[in-house]
Amino acid sequence: MRRVDGELVLLWTLPAVGLIWLSAFLLFPGFVQPMSPAMSAEEVVAFYRDPANLPRIRYSMIVFNWFAVGLIPILALIALQIRRMGHRTPIFSYAILACAAGGPTIFLMANLFWLTAAFRPERDPQQTLMFNDLAWVTFSSQVGFLIAQSVILALAIYLDRRERPVFPPWVAHFNLVVALLLIPAAFVGIALEGPIAWNGLLSFWVRNIAIGLWIVVMGVVLGQAIKRQQAEDGAMTT
Amino acid sequence: MSATTTGAVPAMPSGSLMRRIAWHCRYDEKRELWIGWWTLVAFYNLYGLLFFVLARTQPPPQPSLGPAEIVQWFDDRRSGLLYGYAIVSIVGGATAIMTATLAYTMRRMSVSRAFAYSYLLIYALATLPGMLIMGVACTVGAMRPDRDHALVSWLYDFAFLSFEGTMGVFLVGSLIWMAAVLLDKNRVFPMWFGYLNLCNALTEVVVAPAWIFRRGVFAWDGAIAWWINMAVFVTYTTVFLTLLRGMIVREDFGSGPLPELASDRAPASAGTLGAAR
Amino acid sequence: MTTVQVSVAPRADGSDERAASSEKPGGVRFVPGQPDMWAFVLFEALVFTSYFTVYVIRRTQSPGPFLQSQTHLDLHVGVFNTLVLLASSWSVARCVQATREGSFRAALNNAYLTMLFGVVFLVSKVREWATAIAQGFSFTTDEFFSFYYFLTGIHFLHLLIGFVVLGVAVSRIRSAAGAAPELVETCATYWHTIDFLWVLIFALLYVMR
Repeated sequence: MRRVDGELVLLWTLPAVGLIWLSAFLLFPGFVQPMSPAMSAEEVVAFYRDPANLPRIRYSMIVFNWFAVGLIPILALIALQIRRMGHRTPIFSYAILACAAGGPTIFLMANLFWLTAAFRPERDPQQTLMFNDLAWVTFSSQVGFLIAQSVILALAIYLDRRERPVFPPWVAHFNLVVALLLIPAAFVGIALEGPIAWNGLLSFWVRNIAIGLWIVVMGVVLGQAIKRQQAEDGAMTT
Repeated sequence: MSATTTGAVPAMPSGSLMRRIAWHCRYDEKRELWIGWWTLVAFYNLYGLLFFVLARTQPPPQPSLGPAEIVQWFDDRRSGLLYGYAIVSIVGGATAIMTATLAYTMRRMSVSRAFAYSYLLIYALATLPGMLIMGVACTVGAMRPDRDHALVSWLYDFAFLSFEGTMGVFLVGSLIWMAAVLLDKNRVFPMWFGYLNLCNALTEVVVAPAWIFRRGVFAWDGAIAWWINMAVFVTYTTVFLTLLRGMIVREDFGSGPLPELASDRAPASAGTLGAAR
Repeated sequence: MTTVQVSVAPRADGSDERAASSEKPGGVRFVPGQPDMWAFVLFEALVFTSYFTVYVIRRTQSPGPFLQSQTHLDLHVGVFNTLVLLASSWSVARCVQATREGSFRAALNNAYLTMLFGVVFLVSKVREWATAIAQGFSFTTDEFFSFYYFLTGIHFLHLLIGFVVLGVAVSRIRSAAGAAPELVETCATYWHTIDFLWVLIFALLYVMR
């Protein structure tokens, strides 16, 4: 008998983590008005040294650091649901676990660069500029594991041979759309202005909204799948 | 016993490649494994193109370059670096499927699943220091032509040292696969492949001096630390891709010894249901 | 049900028998021990040869400094190390012989003796390194010494692996009295290769001047 105690508890961490991320997101002055890559070293340093910004930068990033890995329980739950699907091998659930190991860590890395940039604001402006660049490039462009987890999930759903698939097909289509929306952000290095720049429409707004949407939709869909599973298991034992 | 929920499987059509591929996608019991295998093959080829041709970061440049020369190096390949590593960022997650497929070979063995899980986790997190950090460092190094030279020099070091010098993950990962192969009673892979994993693990020891030397055969571009190591690694990769293909053809989804390849069985028909029973 | 071909003769790619195969008394064997191990040691020998080639090329390009540094190596210690490893090859060969004859007590003793020789080599090597470092010759001192430490170091690592291999042989001898000697032969193959590689390293680093 599969042990399922606590899965709903883990699932409810998702909205909690989502709220925490959103608050930190709004608290970080670099996001609400996304910082432009075209800013000069002096402007970037002024941003970090501004007493109105500095504490908000630090506290928001500290919160992000605490919860950077907050998505991992959800990915683990998704991996378990994939395990229930009608596949011949566990390869897809393994692959999701691999994404779980890689993806959130990238988020954590970006976070470390921002915190380091904010630690010594009196540093040489070129150095602060570099740390800021490292943080933004890591945060925006490293979408590989996010794309992979969506593509793998979509593939797993398309190849699910169960009579009653674990996830409905539209979840797969949705994941593929999300993956597509994440692609432009990989190109942030190319331009310092415009939609591809890290503060631009595609690399910032579309990317982050897609991620946010994924979190919300997958949270709901996962909750439904777990409830269905509990009903099925209950029907089996009675 | 395999049990699809769709009943009888239509025979594979002869004819155009597209129709046969479509048939495999819909009915081949081993489609997940083949997806894994083709992902491996496609990725390694793409990787070669991206690193050797587009970004031109491999073969690696000299660690002994001065700051002005390093800035020149970035200048010479600015767009290659920016576009190349953008593409790496997009497809880098394919390593998840690749690692999952290799972990599956260990699951098919008679040894504990701990081997498969360890390998999976190790190689999953290996992509960060072993490939993605280089992408970030090179992108940041190339995106501002007017960046301070000393910092560009630091980004150059950071990129190449992390890429070439991330050793432990591949060292321990290879040893785990080696141990699994040598202990396996299901004959998934031949013993000599277990030993070849040891050779691959040792290349990670041989590359260690790259963290110390800036010129000579032990530097990150040296005859021993890069060229000979790369020869071993390419051999190893080609070998395991070939062996993996053989394993997938032989796969019977049981838990006992894997049947040997019969010499008269064509790989195409091995995918049909019932052929492996 | 798929017919599983149980082959008696080893196939050309050496990919059949497992170490535990004792069910082919009259089987044709190309080599003592697993063919897989032979494939491995040949590959390792090839890799080492490439390292030696690089060394020789670099040495030819700057013979003066290399010769100068080589004089700091103690030839006597090198000879001693070589003799110790040769003795260990002798004892491991006797171990194989004893296993084939079924005298497992003798086989065990020889295996332990091999280990002892191995330990003597390791201790001697570490002392040699410590002495050289105390004299100021470290990995980064000059090019010759970087080769010296690299080659002897990577060999040392192979020797450590050799202890694991000997351990496998010992556990086989102790557990399955009367079993086929194939695994012990396999382990001996590896050990002989380490000895062989050392002789080459000795010749290149200590003797070739």
